[in-house]
Amino acid sequence: MDVLLSGQLLFAALITGALYALIALGLNLVYGTMRLLNVAHGDLVMIGAYVAFWGLTLFGLSPIAGLVVAAAAGALLGWLTYLGLFRRLLASPQLMRRLEGNSLLLFFGISVILQNLAAMAFTASARGYQFMDQVYRFGDVALTGNRIFVLVTAVTICAAVYLLLRFHVFGLAIKALIERRDAAVIVGVDIDRVQIAAICLGFAIAAIAGVLVSTTEQISPFMGFPFTISAFVVIILGGLGNITAGLIAGLLLGVLEVYGVALTSAAYRSVLIYGVFIGILLIRPQGLLGRGSVVR
Amino acid sequence: MNRRDLIAGAVLAASIGLGAGSALAADPVRIGFSIAKTGLFADAAPSQLNAYELWREQVNAAGGLDVAGTKRPVEFVSYDDQSNPGQAVRIYEKLITDDKVDLVLAPWGTPHHFALAPVLEKYKFPMVGNSAASAQLREIKPGYIWFPTSAIPDKIGPELAAMMKANKVTSVALISSVLPFSKEIKSFLLPALKKEGIELRVNEEYPPTTKDMTAMLTAVKKAKPDAIVALSYPSDSVLFAKQAKEIGLEAPFDFVLVGPTMDFYQKVVGSSANNIVTVGHWSPYRADWTKAKPFYDAYVKRFNEIPDHLDSALAYISCEILQQAVAKAGLDKEKLREVISTTTFDTINGPVQFKGVENVSTPTAFLQIQGDKIELVWPASIQTAPYRPKTSW
Repeated sequence: MDVLLSGQLLFAALITGALYALIALGLNLVYGTMRLLNVAHGDLVMIGAYVAFWGLTLFGLSPIAGLVVAAAAGALLGWLTYLGLFRRLLASPQLMRRLEGNSLLLFFGISVILQNLAAMAFTASARGYQFMDQVYRFGDVALTGNRIFVLVTAVTICAAVYLLLRFHVFGLAIKALIERRDAAVIVGVDIDRVQIAAICLGFAIAAIAGVLVSTTEQISPFMGFPFTISAFVVIILGGLGNITAGLIAGLLLGVLEVYGVALTSAAYRSVLIYGVFIGILLIRPQGLLGRGSVVR
Repeated sequence: MNRRDLIAGAVLAASIGLGAGSALAADPVRIGFSIAKTGLFADAAPSQLNAYELWREQVNAAGGLDVAGTKRPVEFVSYDDQSNPGQAVRIYEKLITDDKVDLVLAPWGTPHHFALAPVLEKYKFPMVGNSAASAQLREIKPGYIWFPTSAIPDKIGPELAAMMKANKVTSVALISSVLPFSKEIKSFLLPALKKEGIELRVNEEYPPTTKDMTAMLTAVKKAKPDAIVALSYPSDSVLFAKQAKEIGLEAPFDFVLVGPTMDFYQKVVGSSANNIVTVGHWSPYRADWTKAKPFYDAYVKRFNEIPDHLDSALAYISCEILQQAVAKAGLDKEKLREVISTTTFDTINGPVQFKGVENVSTPTAFLQIQGDKIELVWPASIQTAPYRPKTSW
């Protein structure tokens, strides 16, 4: 019982949840604004992780600076992907009708390419480094420095994006695009610019999440897929395209995982996560805070 | 005769001349294998592939592989089996029937080795295995496959219990991944612990995808055991070490199954790795294994990382065995089979001899990370350094 009430478990739940929320945020931005099913999202996390690793190993760059470099790399990749692949897709009414299916295939291809390029360039061996691994004790709770770093960064970025979407005119434009695309065009939102911004932001956030992951775990070219899966679970749970709901769902999933495991046993981790996921979808198919119908 | 005929004739003559010339150079020995370049095992397989590459380069630098007297260069024919045993089976069939390779080396992983046994039997093609360990390998009909590892679950269980008993362990907390190798070891470890009178205070399992062990390790800490045994795989081995440090576990005997022998482990967990015990039967510091340290140094020089003391060593041993067998028997499959089954080989792990499919010369052993060295600490017969209790994470 005292494990359940302990600060240690709360901290673990917050970290897990914050990371889920951050990764899902990037995916939600891309899906919400453009209905693109980015199954390469986890591989963007992998790219960010490698940027941090090589930054540290080759140039002695701290992962804190690595955050900025990875974000830039992610944004660049997003920009290139948009210009090269999706701009035409999104502009043509015929192609828009099968957008989700086409984007799934395109992103699947991108995923395979990214994974194999990374494996060829860096070899498939696991890599890793230590960063801020001293343990700080606050009463009963012990926190490793890098985990505090992950929590603080993830929360800051989620909060910043939330505020951007709420108060800045560009954020409002993104929300408008998510809500009703044709109405956004009518009121004069520059769709092209907003889409580029959304995809760059989404990819950059994924890369930042990758840097955070690399400070606590080992990395390898094929590490991305589990992150893609959990990101999709989170955004579907919250409601596709609903950014705030995605953040809440991410946190919820982290809490569920850590406390659920503490209540039952570690062996039930997957059963808990996917069981609750299926349960919620059966009761509320649009997700916890999703709208009644999905705008196509 | 017009000009076209003249040119055609000249080209024909030249190609015949060139063809005759090339027969003088030695034909390469083509060795085929599949390896997990993509998929689930892709981050573990490089330690094996690197050992293969190192061996090939060393052999070619020394003039080539000695095939019953003639030296011929070694050429690899390899494919990606995508971590899929079914794919490995198809690839080896292709290697044997279509690419017509002279010899084969093993793929990575226990399920792959087992999937290949019938194929090798069908084509009567011998293969020395390496990265495979399961008690089930005793059920494989001796024939065309051999397993040099001594890290077999039905021996690991009793040996680990014996080692803990010898180091005054009276209670243990066991956490285990649900992957087959871990579960197999657990099934032999639990009765062994009972037999040695060691109290089992925590017995938990977790899925390989686990991202957090806080609840489980808090329970372990509360139980205050003398020993913690984590039957884990590389990613959870890292998670375990990091969270053990955070939560502040205090058992003096800490065993982590897969991971500590690999180069990245100490790079990720740092000094937490110190004094962790793990499974393995090779160390470069055994003076009477004269080829051990040179292999270690050559590997470090070539790849800028330490060899995996389990997989890289085993892969290299399988190459050495093949090399010594081919020197005696040439490329004839039945002769090779005979030689591999009966000879005692001199490898980087000392002498290796097979009885049936199993290596009977190498004892089941345990390694311990001691500073920047990985030493053999059990059994006493091949020990390179005494066991040290773990004082901190």
